[in-house]
Amino acid sequence: MNHSQRHRNLKNQLASVSLVVVKKYRKISGVALASMLASSCATNAPQDTWQPKGPNAKLIDDLQQPVFAVAGIIGLIVAVAVVYTVIKYKDRGQPIPEQTHGKPALEITLTIIPALILAVVAVFTFGAIFKLAKTDDTEMIINVTGQQWWWEYDYPVQNEFGITQPIISSGQLVMPVGTKVLLRETSRDVIHSYWIPALNGKRDAVPGRVQTLRLEADAPGIFAGQCTEFCGLSHANMRMEAIALSKADFAKWVSNQQAKYVAPAKDSLAQQGEAVFLNQCVRCHQVNGLMRADGTPVIAAPDENVWSGAAPNLSHLMSRNTFAGATFDLLSKQCRDEVWGASSDEIGAKYLAGVSEDCLNQKDLRSWLRNAPEMKPMYANPTQLAATGGKYRGMPYLALSEDDITKLVAYLLTLK
Amino acid sequence: MFSTGFKYFIGVTVLSVAALIMSLFVLDQFAIAGVAISMLIAVTALLAGIAVVTRDGQTTTATPDSSKELVTQSMWPLVTSIGVVLLALGLVTSALVFFTGLVVVLGALVEWMVQSWSERASKDVNYNALARKRILNPIEFPVLAALGLGVIIYSFSRIMLAVDKSTGALLFILLGSVVLIAGILFVLKPNLNRSLVVAICALGAVGIFATGILSATTGMREELVEAAAEGHFSHAECGPEESKYFDKLAEGNLSLRSSVDATIELADGKLTARVVGFNQPQNSVTIRRATSTNFIFHNLDANEYRLVADLGNRAVAEPDGKTEKNLVCTQLTAQGSEQSLVLTINKPAPVGTSYVLSVPGIEGQTIELVVP
Repeated sequence: MNHSQRHRNLKNQLASVSLVVVKKYRKISGVALASMLASSCATNAPQDTWQPKGPNAKLIDDLQQPVFAVAGIIGLIVAVAVVYTVIKYKDRGQPIPEQTHGKPALEITLTIIPALILAVVAVFTFGAIFKLAKTDDTEMIINVTGQQWWWEYDYPVQNEFGITQPIISSGQLVMPVGTKVLLRETSRDVIHSYWIPALNGKRDAVPGRVQTLRLEADAPGIFAGQCTEFCGLSHANMRMEAIALSKADFAKWVSNQQAKYVAPAKDSLAQQGEAVFLNQCVRCHQVNGLMRADGTPVIAAPDENVWSGAAPNLSHLMSRNTFAGATFDLLSKQCRDEVWGASSDEIGAKYLAGVSEDCLNQKDLRSWLRNAPEMKPMYANPTQLAATGGKYRGMPYLALSEDDITKLVAYLLTLK
Repeated sequence: MFSTGFKYFIGVTVLSVAALIMSLFVLDQFAIAGVAISMLIAVTALLAGIAVVTRDGQTTTATPDSSKELVTQSMWPLVTSIGVVLLALGLVTSALVFFTGLVVVLGALVEWMVQSWSERASKDVNYNALARKRILNPIEFPVLAALGLGVIIYSFSRIMLAVDKSTGALLFILLGSVVLIAGILFVLKPNLNRSLVVAICALGAVGIFATGILSATTGMREELVEAAAEGHFSHAECGPEESKYFDKLAEGNLSLRSSVDATIELADGKLTARVVGFNQPQNSVTIRRATSTNFIFHNLDANEYRLVADLGNRAVAEPDGKTEKNLVCTQLTAQGSEQSLVLTINKPAPVGTSYVLSVPGIEGQTIELVVP
């Protein structure tokens, strides 16, 4: 048997094996393909990049739709040509055809056509990039700060929106519709990336740098997002939601966020919860307006306990729908579905209703207070904090009793 | 005839004695270094004695093979012994000396081994030399080139530190021009005498090296000595100007310039903040807790001014509870110039107080720093 015959036998054997594999896994392959196709029909896909809900996302969509179409057609032509060539020129024992090198006319044509296509795409792409980078038409500023594994939002003083003192929040970004919002992003620890697909593309949040990202929503709604730069253990749990409210509703939200702290009623369970909070939680979590028994204001010191130097500010916690980096819902499933399923006209009122006792997702909140690291992977083992100088990344286990948890939940419910 | 082993050990002994004498002068203490080096002297002297008595352990009297060429003279025993002494010295002085010794010993051992092997490769001395070159030249040339280049660069840096700024700039231009002209000359005259080229390059290198040594002994120029003594690079002065040699290029830091949170501008006696994203000048800047925030101070007024951040009080002597003003500031900034200021504030200002930016000498103008 000469070399050529051995080579041909080997190829035949490989082809037989491939056929057996294809036949054996035909069903699985079919199911996988069908699932892939079916997933493109999903209606409940809040992070779908093909459903823009604002002018910035539309700008990207208007660019990617034709590019995708052109790329798809070219891809199809190439695939068909490859399959045609493989079948037509399959090795059937025929002699090897004459080998030729160099067809200048063909080569130049095949270089110029893609170059022209890319040049046209580049013109529109650069236009879109410059439009998305504009900051001189900004109407509202929101500072966005990433840290492992949650996003903080602070609203500098902007009298035109009724923001007469800075507002600080986390997990959910609240913004008025039809307003050109500029996010000023940075990070306190590692690189993160902010992405609300329905409103714009991604922008990295880099420590030591301030990067800007435009957001604008056409209509009231809730838009989901996800950190898109791997940032450690709980990267997958670093989520965010943008809540677009009508201007009137946004004004109500601003007013509520600036409302003074209301202490729990005397001798109530919530007041006992406030004592637990003062004893345990204020080391890291700030509640604006909270006073100690001696009348001095409480200033949390997350910089002394947390590696990033910050922990979520819990003032008006129950005006948000999520907690722990938007990983868990503060609302029960039924109430959450009501908010998410509300029409544009109703969503403002439903969102501003906040979290009532009936709607509270007691199960997750209690579990979180009981043992947070069990709920969300974090570097919270006190014996393994050498790399961060003894500081935590995420909420540690606090060994709270069930009684304390009940009191705390009652207190947190008052933070409307 | 002394044996090779004897030469090696006696070399270590002699150098160790020299090291012992030096250490007594340099270290001004005998305790550890003296004991260690004395032990080394004793051990190597003993080994040298054994080597010479036993003829390097050769028990039979070999008849010289007249058909074999004599081996060449080797410098590697001497180099190895210097390396061993450096190792010993390094153990009691500094890690740098120790690692230098380690590199010298390892390099010399490799050279010594390959040379010994090549000398026994054949009876032809020329062939043996060629075999050695083929193995070692690919390593020797880059290493020696890097060392040579390093010495020249280091020497040149000593020269630049010794001469004043304007002379330094001229020197740089002059040297660059000489290198350029020499390069052009070599290209245009490819048949230039090789010895001449080598001589020119060697002369240049030796010249720089010698001037470098001279400059190192002269020391750095006065302003650099003063600057180092004052620690002006810390940029933490807020009182009367203590240094006239501050780093005027601090604001040129590229990463800082490309990521400025706010530019604080002083013009016509008014202080305003231009904050990224805001279209109008602001009189307050909201900055994030526990995050470094970059400011640029741009002085458009005629006199020199500095920007000062008043961050309240900070404890200075616990547990006494004593506090002092927590001020952070830029250096004095001339008209039209800029200085950077990086602030990290971990907590909001206590109730009833606020953090502010101000410019001493400009009354009634402040920018509030709001930390939510």
